Amino acid sequence: MRAKSLDDILKKGDRIAVSNITGREASKVSVLSQRYCGNIVAGWALGKAGQTIQVPGADPIPVFGQFEDLMAAFKDGKKPNKIIVYSPPEAVYGDVKEVLEHGTGSIETIFVITEHVSVEVTAKLRALALEADVDIIGCNTLGAINAHAHVRAGAVGGDAPEETFKAGSVCILSNSGNMVNTIADYLKCAGLGVSHGISTGKDRLILTPLKDLLLLALEDSRTRIIVLYVEPGGAYEQEALELLRAHAVVKPVIAYVSGQFAEGRAVSLGHAGAVVEGAGTSASAKMRLFDDYFQTPVYDPAQPKELMELLGKSRRGIRVNTLHDIVPAATAIVEACGMETDFSPLQEIALRPWFVSLGALERKLPRDMILHPVPVPEPYASLVERYVKSGLGRVTARQSMRNTSHASSNDGSTPRIYGYSVMNLMKKGSFAEAVLLYWLGQPPGRDFEVQLFEMVLIASLTNGPGTISAQAPKLSASAGNPPNAAMIATLAAIGHVHGGNGRDAALMLIETFAKSGLVDPYDKANAPDLDRLAQAFVKSFKEKKNLAKEAGVDYAKVPCLGHPVFNAEPVNFDPRERVIAAYMEEHGIYNVFLDYYHRLTRTLAESGATNKVHAVNVDAVLACVLMGMAWPLLVEKRITVERAADLPFLAFALGRSAGGAGEYLDHRESGTDMDMRIPVSECRYLGRVQD
Amino acid sequence: MSAKVGELVFLQQLAKRFKIPAPDFVVEPVSQSDIKNKLQIWGSGIVKPDVLAGKRGKAGAVHKVSDYREALQLLKKTAATEVNCLQPRTSYIVQAVPADIELFSAITYNTKFLSPSLTVSLKGGIDVESVPDSEKATIPVDVFRGLNAYQASELLSKLGLQGRLNSSVARCLVNQWDMFISTGMQSCEINPWRASKDDKIFACDFKAEFDENNFKFRDIGFELPEYPTSEEAFDEEMRTWSASSHQGQAHVSSLGGKKILPLLFGGGASTIITETLAQCGGDPMFLSDFGGNPPYERMKKTAEICFRHKLGGASLLLILGGKANNTQIDITFAAIADALEEWVGRNGPLHIPVVIGRGGPGLVQGFAAMKKTLENLHLPHVIFGPDTPITLVAAYAARLAACAGLELRED
Repeated sequence: MRAKSLDDILKKGDRIAVSNITGREASKVSVLSQRYCGNIVAGWALGKAGQTIQVPGADPIPVFGQFEDLMAAFKDGKKPNKIIVYSPPEAVYGDVKEVLEHGTGSIETIFVITEHVSVEVTAKLRALALEADVDIIGCNTLGAINAHAHVRAGAVGGDAPEETFKAGSVCILSNSGNMVNTIADYLKCAGLGVSHGISTGKDRLILTPLKDLLLLALEDSRTRIIVLYVEPGGAYEQEALELLRAHAVVKPVIAYVSGQFAEGRAVSLGHAGAVVEGAGTSASAKMRLFDDYFQTPVYDPAQPKELMELLGKSRRGIRVNTLHDIVPAATAIVEACGMETDFSPLQEIALRPWFVSLGALERKLPRDMILHPVPVPEPYASLVERYVKSGLGRVTARQSMRNTSHASSNDGSTPRIYGYSVMNLMKKGSFAEAVLLYWLGQPPGRDFEVQLFEMVLIASLTNGPGTISAQAPKLSASAGNPPNAAMIATLAAIGHVHGGNGRDAALMLIETFAKSGLVDPYDKANAPDLDRLAQAFVKSFKEKKNLAKEAGVDYAKVPCLGHPVFNAEPVNFDPRERVIAAYMEEHGIYNVFLDYYHRLTRTLAESGATNKVHAVNVDAVLACVLMGMAWPLLVEKRITVERAADLPFLAFALGRSAGGAGEYLDHRESGTDMDMRIPVSECRYLGRVQD
Repeated sequence: MSAKVGELVFLQQLAKRFKIPAPDFVVEPVSQSDIKNKLQIWGSGIVKPDVLAGKRGKAGAVHKVSDYREALQLLKKTAATEVNCLQPRTSYIVQAVPADIELFSAITYNTKFLSPSLTVSLKGGIDVESVPDSEKATIPVDVFRGLNAYQASELLSKLGLQGRLNSSVARCLVNQWDMFISTGMQSCEINPWRASKDDKIFACDFKAEFDENNFKFRDIGFELPEYPTSEEAFDEEMRTWSASSHQGQAHVSSLGGKKILPLLFGGGASTIITETLAQCGGDPMFLSDFGGNPPYERMKKTAEICFRHKLGGASLLLILGGKANNTQIDITFAAIADALEEWVGRNGPLHIPVVIGRGGPGLVQGFAAMKKTLENLHLPHVIFGPDTPITLVAAYAARLAACAGLELRED
């Protein structure tokens, strides 16, 4: 082995290059590693030369097309000395060969993360690396971490390595990458941190065998205890124990051997190399090997006194039967060998449920089985507040949606919207109903919702040719554009303050009613105390308004109140809102949001926040009608808050783009080319002539 | 990942191609006149089952015959008789060859040398592990240069085989290496080679494992035969599904348990969780590893298959893994939650507790999605974060499954 110390495998100042760095896993892990320790100097991926991987808060990672180019880009002394291989299995041999050819004299260690590398290629990598005097960790390693130097190679520690790995005196050598993290987490409960953690990989051939790593751990000045996670298969432990017996330095070892349950069954364990090849390679045989070496029976929490004597006498360590016994076993070793812990134990090892809901089952359980939730630790607690306890809206999993849709499908004969045949929807004959299906993900819950939706769409069609969204298609027609350009022009001329205010209204309503206990927005009898909600809102609004005025800055207006046309009276109404309100009254339909809006505008005037009762405008009605439909789905977490908030804006855009089409048709038919042009004589220049 | 083959595939596909001398053979079904003619030439033959089970002789499945009527009967009987609980694909009869000496040879990847190795013994025909170390020898083989006749001959000499037979066997061993390395094998054993002093050598039994990750195996030039399987429909469907993509793991092995349906994540974690469940009486239905950051569709289909086959008979659903390094918990949990909802939609209400433990990217979003589904389906549940050891969660789940199993039956 080239490395003469654990630090030679990974230390501060190492410069890492990553193969196939633009791949899904490699890029993600590299960004996290760069943020953690900033030791990745470059990566390479065929055809990706010139790209850069951006790392928020840290140096970006340049990408080269080939390893040779990468090496040429760095001066001597600055060239990478460690490699992480994330290449696909069939490319691993070529990439490692390229590294060995062009990295001579610089490269010291190669971590091969790739899984499913053939055993023949693995053996060839070993032969090549031996010749080049380079160490290979893997294949199928997760990497390594040096906790004292605060550096890692690969994905050890996941997305928050600093959370799991505290610097300390235990070296973890594990056949499983995940177990490096898990054991490091457990050890904190014994007041022990980690010196180095190395995932050896568990393919059939482990290219840096246990005996080599153990030798380095025995000679590492920071390491006082060694923890091993061992799986069946291979003769690695036999060789390692021979080494331990022969070596002058004795350091206590805690060994956990897994996979005994699978013996005698035709079961293959998760790792490719966990295959029993003959005598001495089964889990039971390995357990016997360790017990023979330790001269101590397997750890038994019930016999601490006798155990301490044995441990103190042999100082060789102990095997544990259950992984969490590593904690008391480590504590026993520290005590029996007269050591000190690295820090105060962080917490007791115990069941810490975050959420418990056992319902009726709880009454039938023994007392010690009944669990109570513990406070969720940070950084999770604030996320729990946001995602779990907020109570409204669905939390979705993000994924690539390039060729995927929940909304529509076509099996070759039937196009569908959320599983409903378009042909059947055509037979029902309601465009509004089909649109609601497309937007809500399910058919509207109440019959009258379709009618209300029709009405708000009609209301959105136009407010006369002077509106900017009607002017836009006229401008487009005047320029001689085709119809689609006019539609785009209409849509481009609506925005946050014209038509898009419904989104703000929806968000305001969601925030106002989120913790009100509202379930059914059409149920007047169980509506929350709207006056109280309105007063609370107005109080908060006035405070913000006053602060903003004092600071001389603009303040956020209440969305969808008031109208440039309907604003002359002490109490104002938008006539389009009135039509919908009258329809609802006539049909006995109650909408808590519309009721709230009217109370809000009155409360604003009564409190002096406004000088008149502003009209609840058509955007507000849009928001109220669509939030009526969306609210039960938010409560049942069937749709996201983002979807609900977008609905009013979309409804306005749908109605208004149809209106814009009408303006376009009229203008094309009767207008003249360029008739929207404003003569130069009517245009004013507000600046100063410069020459 | 490996694919096993036995003697018949060797006789039919590999022996001639790699110039390895092997006895003549015929495969059932065979006509009376054919077998009569063969036995007239051979003198006697050996009837064997084509089955991927070791120690066929000890199981009483191998018969020496010289009468063609007996041979016909035995061929039919052998083809229909299970060996070590495995159903043979067919049976065949090979020429019985005389021998003055029997040898053993095996080529495999050796975990001590970290390279291929050749093991030879002059005590062939018996289990090599029962042969004393002094009577067998192993040498490393350079993976690039391969085995040459000189190396093989030297090894045979060391064991005491001299003369013309030494060089003839050495040539055969080189051919065995050629077969091993040309077809992407990860182990290959011929036991015994039967050799006579007049320099006639035959490979008389054979077993090998191909490395499915080796591209040479994928282009091996013939279809591997399909053996009757005793695996459950669940294992079969999951094996096919697992092989269909390298995106994320979808690895299961049935354990025959009746209580806990475990959806586990991580090669190491899944092993220690299953170990703990078994130790604590949790009676897990299978060993599973669904880590490796599966995309939503992959995870959903995996969960859907598990639920379709196993959920109806489970006393507890366990979703457990360590602190993930790459696996997106929000995606995997959303997929499992959706599969669970669909199962209930198809099969009606479920009344078993669900125990969850996990850590990793997108954890809380994943918990939120899962919690919502569990609440909608009125399923009792306990959810642990990464600050609870997975083995403690597994031990708790095992006890809860025992309680839930009893109480739910009473309900």
